Amino acid sequence: MDRSVHLNNAIMRFGEFTAVEKMDLKIESGEFFSFLGPSGCGKTTILNMISGFLEPSEGGVYIGDQSMAGVPANKRPTSMIFQNLALFPLMTVAENIEFGLEVRGVSKAERKKTSDRLLELVALEGSGEKKVSELSGGQKQRIAIARALAVEPQVLLLDEPLSALDLKLRQHMRTELKEIQRKTGITFIYITHDQGEALTMSDRVAVMSAGKLQQVADPITLYREPETAFVASFVGENNAIPCRVLESSEGYAVVDAGSLGSLVGRIKRPIMPSVSATLFVRPEGLKLGCEGEFTLSATLAEVNFEGSYLTLTASLANQQVVAIQLRANQYNEAMIAGSALTLSFDRQDAIVIAGEANDV
Amino acid sequence: MFSQLKQRFGSPLSVAIVALIAVWLIGLVILPQLIMVNYSLKPNLLPGEIGGVQDQYTLSNYATLFNNTIHLSIFFKTIWSSVLVTFLTLVVSYPLAFYLAKVATPRQAALCLLLLIIPFWINEILRTFSWYIILAYKGPLNALLLELGLINRPVRFLSGDGGVLIGMVYAYILFMIFPIYNAIESLDSNQIKAARNLGASWLRTHYRVVIPHAKPGIATGCIMTFMLAAGSYAVPALLGSPGSRWFTQIIYNWFFEGGDWNQGAAYAFLLLIICIGFIALVMKVFKVGLGDIAR
Repeated sequence: MDRSVHLNNAIMRFGEFTAVEKMDLKIESGEFFSFLGPSGCGKTTILNMISGFLEPSEGGVYIGDQSMAGVPANKRPTSMIFQNLALFPLMTVAENIEFGLEVRGVSKAERKKTSDRLLELVALEGSGEKKVSELSGGQKQRIAIARALAVEPQVLLLDEPLSALDLKLRQHMRTELKEIQRKTGITFIYITHDQGEALTMSDRVAVMSAGKLQQVADPITLYREPETAFVASFVGENNAIPCRVLESSEGYAVVDAGSLGSLVGRIKRPIMPSVSATLFVRPEGLKLGCEGEFTLSATLAEVNFEGSYLTLTASLANQQVVAIQLRANQYNEAMIAGSALTLSFDRQDAIVIAGEANDV
Repeated sequence: MFSQLKQRFGSPLSVAIVALIAVWLIGLVILPQLIMVNYSLKPNLLPGEIGGVQDQYTLSNYATLFNNTIHLSIFFKTIWSSVLVTFLTLVVSYPLAFYLAKVATPRQAALCLLLLIIPFWINEILRTFSWYIILAYKGPLNALLLELGLINRPVRFLSGDGGVLIGMVYAYILFMIFPIYNAIESLDSNQIKAARNLGASWLRTHYRVVIPHAKPGIATGCIMTFMLAAGSYAVPALLGSPGSRWFTQIIYNWFFEGGDWNQGAAYAFLLLIICIGFIALVMKVFKVGLGDIAR
């Protein structure tokens, strides 16, 4: 079955405001696809266009190869898990799960069978007669998943469903969602502003900013090869060093970083000399000591112990603050605020992107 | 409860608050009602006979209604018509309340509410009179319907119960809209979206999600509208015809034209009892408790 979703040059405007700019994107059948971006970037609008709560101002939405133009929300093969879950509080757990089937005129016996099966899938056997208010946050979450799966959708839309849960539960639910997706083969479209969620669960991630797609890639590519300054600074931690390009060739660019001297980083495509750019080095790409190709002298400002690793905050010669991530066992007593540090990095670990990082 | 009040307002103010409520409840509600009960259970006597041998408690005033077929039929017609008014008001109000609470933008909703409220700045008698003019045999409504070709000759709206029903639906619509509006407004809009998303038609979304949530509001609106309709005097007096008398008019006649307060009081209590019975019934049908309504 073709469960792909195609946004065919879809645009969404609200009066003067363009919430989603022209977007042409194909989400593959059975893919776990995430839209990642800060709040207000238009990702929820995309979900509403796919589910039928909004009709695109221009362009269209296709599910499988069916155009969804003019198909109302209750006739689309999608189901949604809402941020606040939106379980029906006046119905029992089983009635909630069976609602979509009840609407379709499925017999009571048949409905019961489905809700029992789904309760088992989400590991809540025998909770069918409970009231929604008797469930814990994590249990409600699972019921919302079961309710959405009961109608056997081709596409499951998830609108930041884990944001209300505590950390441990959130991590657990990530694994579970991924597991359910694998078992059912349904296309999952996941909306989040939490990059951890997007990176751990997704086959591909679309990073969005101000209604525009920044980059669509698998999580590893997104992290290692960001294409825009926004992606480089939004996905994961990154140290952004403003600079000016001196020359670029063969996948590398030499840049002038003012008082930090000239540095070299990787580039995706050539950048014209004298264009202002940003050199990004991940905190784990900065090494302590001078074994890397390029050295920077810095003053240690803060040491944060975070369990398995250690984050140092230091200011460079030009007063810019950078973060350095070390393994916990690299800690030594000499690391006190105010002490001088020598940092270094290799050109492999730096990326030069045209534009300024605070353009985001 | 008193200690809570005391904590918040201090002793003197708390005593004053409680005293005021007590005066209002006892002096203005309970005592007058008790006096009326007392009246209703005594025969109508000349001043000289009060305290005499005939001055004894009796149920004869209550029996009068059941021996007078005309009064009895008006009594039941009043109850039935009030049910009809309540139902019609609900039918008109629910879509409007839903629109205001969930569909309209805040601006539109504010404008609509204003338009609904402004007519109520005019007193009930004047508003009812305007309906008298609109519904008249040679009035604008008939003229319009004739012009549109919907009718061949003017309709006598004011001669049956039609005029009274229309007038009452209009007079009490706010009492229905506001409780329902409040109830629907408190519904999480995602619940409606979720129902739609799971495939529910609009009708089913209302029937399964919106109405169950709004039930206390609907019950409150129905009870208020019914009570006001059953106890209405001005609307039937102005828009009714001799053939569409309301029970309140008969009560009025006993008091002020028959001069028989005892009989009037008995009739008034019978109406009250039926109304309370109706409320209990509505609450049972809608499965709402007093607590839900007070919310």
